Amino acid sequence: MESFFVRYRNLVVLLAILLAQIIGLAVQVRRTGSGRNTLDPQDAPGVRLIRLWADAVVSPPERLIHSSKLGMIYLWQNYFDLRHTREQNQELQKTIDRLRLEQAALLEDARQGQRLQALMDFQRKYIYKTLAAQAIGSSGSDQSRVFYLDKGSADGLERDMAVITADGIVGKIREVFPHSAQVLPINDPTSGAGVILESTRIRGILRGNAAGQPQIVGILADQRIQKGEKVLTAGGDLIFPLGLPVGVVEKVAPDPERDSFIDVIVQPAAHLDRLDEVLVITSTQPRFSPEEQQDMATSEALKGPEAEAIKERKKASEVMAERLPGLTDPNAPASNPAPNAAPATGSGTPEQGQNQAKPASPAAPPMVLRPAHPDRFSPGAVPQAAADQPVPGTEAKPAQQTEPRRNP
Amino acid sequence: MSKLGADSRRDLEIRRYPLLVYVLAPLAALVLQAWLPSVLRGYVLFDLPLVVTVYFALGRRSPIQGTLMGAAMGLFEDALTHHAIGVNGIAKTVVGFLAASVGIRIDVENHTIRLVLSFLLSLLSSTIYVFIYRVLLGLNQEWSWLTELFKAVGNSLIAVVLFPLLDRMQIKD
Repeated sequence: MESFFVRYRNLVVLLAILLAQIIGLAVQVRRTGSGRNTLDPQDAPGVRLIRLWADAVVSPPERLIHSSKLGMIYLWQNYFDLRHTREQNQELQKTIDRLRLEQAALLEDARQGQRLQALMDFQRKYIYKTLAAQAIGSSGSDQSRVFYLDKGSADGLERDMAVITADGIVGKIREVFPHSAQVLPINDPTSGAGVILESTRIRGILRGNAAGQPQIVGILADQRIQKGEKVLTAGGDLIFPLGLPVGVVEKVAPDPERDSFIDVIVQPAAHLDRLDEVLVITSTQPRFSPEEQQDMATSEALKGPEAEAIKERKKASEVMAERLPGLTDPNAPASNPAPNAAPATGSGTPEQGQNQAKPASPAAPPMVLRPAHPDRFSPGAVPQAAADQPVPGTEAKPAQQTEPRRNP
Repeated sequence: MSKLGADSRRDLEIRRYPLLVYVLAPLAALVLQAWLPSVLRGYVLFDLPLVVTVYFALGRRSPIQGTLMGAAMGLFEDALTHHAIGVNGIAKTVVGFLAASVGIRIDVENHTIRLVLSFLLSLLSSTIYVFIYRVLLGLNQEWSWLTELFKAVGNSLIAVVLFPLLDRMQIKD
């Protein structure tokens, strides 16, 4: 027996190691109710321990490399590449001024929205607190698109927290280690996020495809979905707050597995293949954060009167536009007359209608428009004496003249 | 390709390296494999841990050591993804064992042989990976053989560059 193991020790070791790994794999896979195999979304303690060890080995060198890279970039950008900085500062100041003006103008609407939400017993969650983190490494495999952040549970990160950039959503935290965290991006096939199309209000689930593009799956074919339509978070997945930008519709393709369903390929708003710094949403609350409130107060103090004046001017012009009488010329030709359209005047014949549909000659004299409610000052109105004669059937009507009319 | 008896070749040339190389070379391969894709914008057409496994298995000419090294590297790679731990482990265990077994029988000093071996072992690793994922575990995984072919070519080219560099670190009698 001893000689057997000695003679075949290579094969015995190989088979033992393979067997151990196969058993380990079998433990990690479970069968769903629909009969399909799937990986457990939550790692078992043993599996998590292996991931923790691997992260503890790989993360420190990655962090070191990333810090060196950042240091060199910092050195270059802050000491050598300072050309046009003054011009950029001026441009940025102009942008800040413009944004402050917009914010001040929108503030009252936001407050009104909050009051209405409170009345409807619906509280929208706002991003209350975020934590900036650096992407320091990836999984190293083209089959898994997860990447690692340089912040972990020691910095307050937890599973299922949303990861975003200023451009749009990135993904969610899948696993947290003491000083790093694993992020599952929205373009991974195992990810999932509730999204809504901005104009058509169609909801769906966003997940990655094999090519690494996010796509909305499981929605019925709809002609209204067009390329370029904005995609936002729907807020129903309890991970991403409502209304964050996801991307724009890039393409609509039929679902290869189900008839009458389509896949909407989305061009992500965040640059998922060149992530450097991201924000992790560590807290959402039904109110604005102190920083946001302070920023809004500053905007209101600095730009409030200016924004109010612009708003008032806009409102006044809208009111004026509503009050101005519509100048409709009953004899004017219709812009797109129907072939059998009736003439504008009720007594006209079809021939007359056809004649009226013809464009007017440029040499024709200008017509005097007939007022909708003529008074004594209107051109072509009846003389005063004739107007003072009582007209049968009009005595009971209330007088609308500015001067009181006396009957003889 | 000169053929020798297994025992005679093993006794003839078993490469030895400083302990630091055994530790740092695989570690560097794992770290670079995790870091480079973020620099190269996601184009992961290489597998450095596989190349290092093949190199040490060929050089040491010990199937047990090749098996253990392949298993360790594969499990490490799996642990950095969010997939099941063991898929890459099994693939690289087999690759390490086979590379060491081949190293006993043929002369692997020739660059062409190294290039061809790296290409074939890379394809074998991909095949085992797909087999385990789709057949053994019954999981749905999108796959492109063209990508795996490019990856095998990439691994072969890296092997041609990396093997002579690692050769310089061996302990010479």
